Amino acid sequence: MRLLLVEDEVDIQSFLRCSLEEAGYQVEAAADGKTAERLAADGVYDVLIVDLGLPDQDGITLILRLRQMGVRAPVLILSARRSVDDRVRGLEQGGDDYLTKPFALAELLARLRNLIRRNSPQPSEATRLRVQDLELDLLRREALRSGQDLQLTPQEFVLLEYLCRNAGRVVTRSMILDQVWGMRIQPDTNVVDVHIYRLRGKVDGKGQQPLIRTLRGVGYVLKDK
Amino acid sequence: MSSKTSKPVMRSAAWRISLWATLAFACGTMLAFVFLQSFVANDIQRRSDAWLSGEVEVLGDVAERTPKDALYDRVVGEVAELAGKEVPNKLPSESNSNDSVFFLQTGLDGSLKLWVGTGNGAADLKAIQATSVVSDRPVDVRVSGFGVPFRVASTKIGDGTRIYLGLSERDELRVLRSLRLRFFVLWLLLVLLGFLIVFFTTRRMLSHVRGITEAASRIGSTDLNTRVPTTMRNDEVAQLALTLNHMLDRIENSMHQLHTITDSLAHDLRSPLTAIRGKLETSLSTARDGEQAEPIVCAIEELDRLTDFLNKSLDVAEAKADALRLSPSEIDMDELLRAMIDLYEPSMSDKTLRVSLTSGGPLKIVADAALIHRMIANLFDNELKHLPAGCRVSIRLEPKNGAASLVLEDNGPGFEDEIRPHLFERRVKGRESNGHGLGLAFVEAVVRAHGGTVSASNRQGGGAQIAISLPLAPREGAHFPVAVMSGSK
Repeated sequence: MRLLLVEDEVDIQSFLRCSLEEAGYQVEAAADGKTAERLAADGVYDVLIVDLGLPDQDGITLILRLRQMGVRAPVLILSARRSVDDRVRGLEQGGDDYLTKPFALAELLARLRNLIRRNSPQPSEATRLRVQDLELDLLRREALRSGQDLQLTPQEFVLLEYLCRNAGRVVTRSMILDQVWGMRIQPDTNVVDVHIYRLRGKVDGKGQQPLIRTLRGVGYVLKDK
Repeated sequence: MSSKTSKPVMRSAAWRISLWATLAFACGTMLAFVFLQSFVANDIQRRSDAWLSGEVEVLGDVAERTPKDALYDRVVGEVAELAGKEVPNKLPSESNSNDSVFFLQTGLDGSLKLWVGTGNGAADLKAIQATSVVSDRPVDVRVSGFGVPFRVASTKIGDGTRIYLGLSERDELRVLRSLRLRFFVLWLLLVLLGFLIVFFTTRRMLSHVRGITEAASRIGSTDLNTRVPTTMRNDEVAQLALTLNHMLDRIENSMHQLHTITDSLAHDLRSPLTAIRGKLETSLSTARDGEQAEPIVCAIEELDRLTDFLNKSLDVAEAKADALRLSPSEIDMDELLRAMIDLYEPSMSDKTLRVSLTSGGPLKIVADAALIHRMIANLFDNELKHLPAGCRVSIRLEPKNGAASLVLEDNGPGFEDEIRPHLFERRVKGRESNGHGLGLAFVEAVVRAHGGTVSASNRQGGGAQIAISLPLAPREGAHFPVAVMSGSK
């Protein structure tokens, strides 16, 4: 996966480049709009990350120019601004995504994956999900571990389904809140942890290998191996 | 002019103004006519009086010169009859008999000597004697049997007898009556026309004012891009619009200034926060196990709290200045509360708190979803943090006076007395609280930005109560006044 990163802040650019390369992307970085245009003209990218506050031009102007140049790749917009520009809204509807600074790396990676998946042909929707000895029947809304029904509530099932779909990858609390409950909030209390704790109580029974792992300060991961 | 705001015509200012203007106009023209009519009436009377005086003199002359023989009656009578044919203001009458003029001569004893006219003259004589007509200046005489009075002039001739010449005022009155009738019809038309002209001009002018009012109320606090409509004319209404637009320019400018300040503050703080967070996360991935990770995890959590605090205080600051940017969409409060309870229920039951919702089904409001979600989460966080174990939280959602009324009650210790008057101020928090004191200030900011109200009190039986009221979504097809300007995340 080739990725073009357009970010003028050196610190942010360097840690993003490291993390993205670690996540398996081939990263080219540009610190201003001109360089970005030159790079985009020379190479083909699968996905772009563009910061809105560039020194030489507005990030949205850059995206529109790249689109005119024939760049089809989806764009993840980064912004430290408070308000969402109407033009950003327009781009969001056109298939690009938007992330406010500061962000968790896991969330950035998840959004990148979503953007790339949306742009590639969809595999037919599976009716069953399987992670190690955990099995989810998406039609009957049943979860089985080693053949045993886990007796999940509908909400717990949705939470587990989200973890399974992202098996092996970190999901943050705010991603869970957004995807499972449809809320973009940052609670002061540990509401998500309690849900995970309860779910873990059902999924990881006595004597079984724990599947749901907590990464403190980052989020959760469902182990896939 | 839109139909939704139009009041009954009778209650509009245009109606009142036209009524008063028309009344003044009607009175004025009526006064002018009364004056004109009395002038015309006097003039007509003066003419007939002049005729009467002239004729009575001529007749007196004839009567004096004619020998008092058998032919006297005939001669004088014919002269009198001839005179009667030249009556001024005479209208063509359908009958040949001339009943508008009479000639009468009395003897020395006052008895009727000669009579030319309709009837036998007895009634006329009686009336004349009753009025005692003496001079040759004509006077009014009312004769019984006639509806209108006669104008009678008299003169004394040489032999001591008197002759009287009477002219009915009928024709004169008829002229005046027809004048009045014509005037009245004309007057009615004029008044009606005047009313219509005044009404439509004022209404047109006031419709500009109403247009301005409507536009101004639409502009409200969120949509400052638009301006009230202006006209090309340089009248008071146009000036009102111009002044309003100038004012809006200034408000938009200061609002823009505030947004620039909060935006650049957010930007200047967020960029380093992003870099710090990124670096922390990178170092966390290399030092995942052992005690090394603990301080990094703590730092990340602190950083997230700081970010949340930054967002909230900027939101509260903007809301206090009525400058919070909203991107409204339709939200079902019932659905949202159920999802929120679903999210918080495990944490609450861990603390042996019970939560219950009383709701009459879907209740839709138009609001900024992100802000409303955060506000409700704030309320739940508050309950979760401050209630002692075993307490009960009851939530009631119902439509009340066109608003969604949301009441949160608990049976905990309630608000402390010393902070109760300042609950919605920034940095105000209870002694036990370890928050940053923005919770309720943020709740109030969000509710205010959506045109709602919020109140917090202690219940009589103990426990706290927070009552929020948010305007309900307008019904299907109605126009939503708040236009989307730009949203905040």
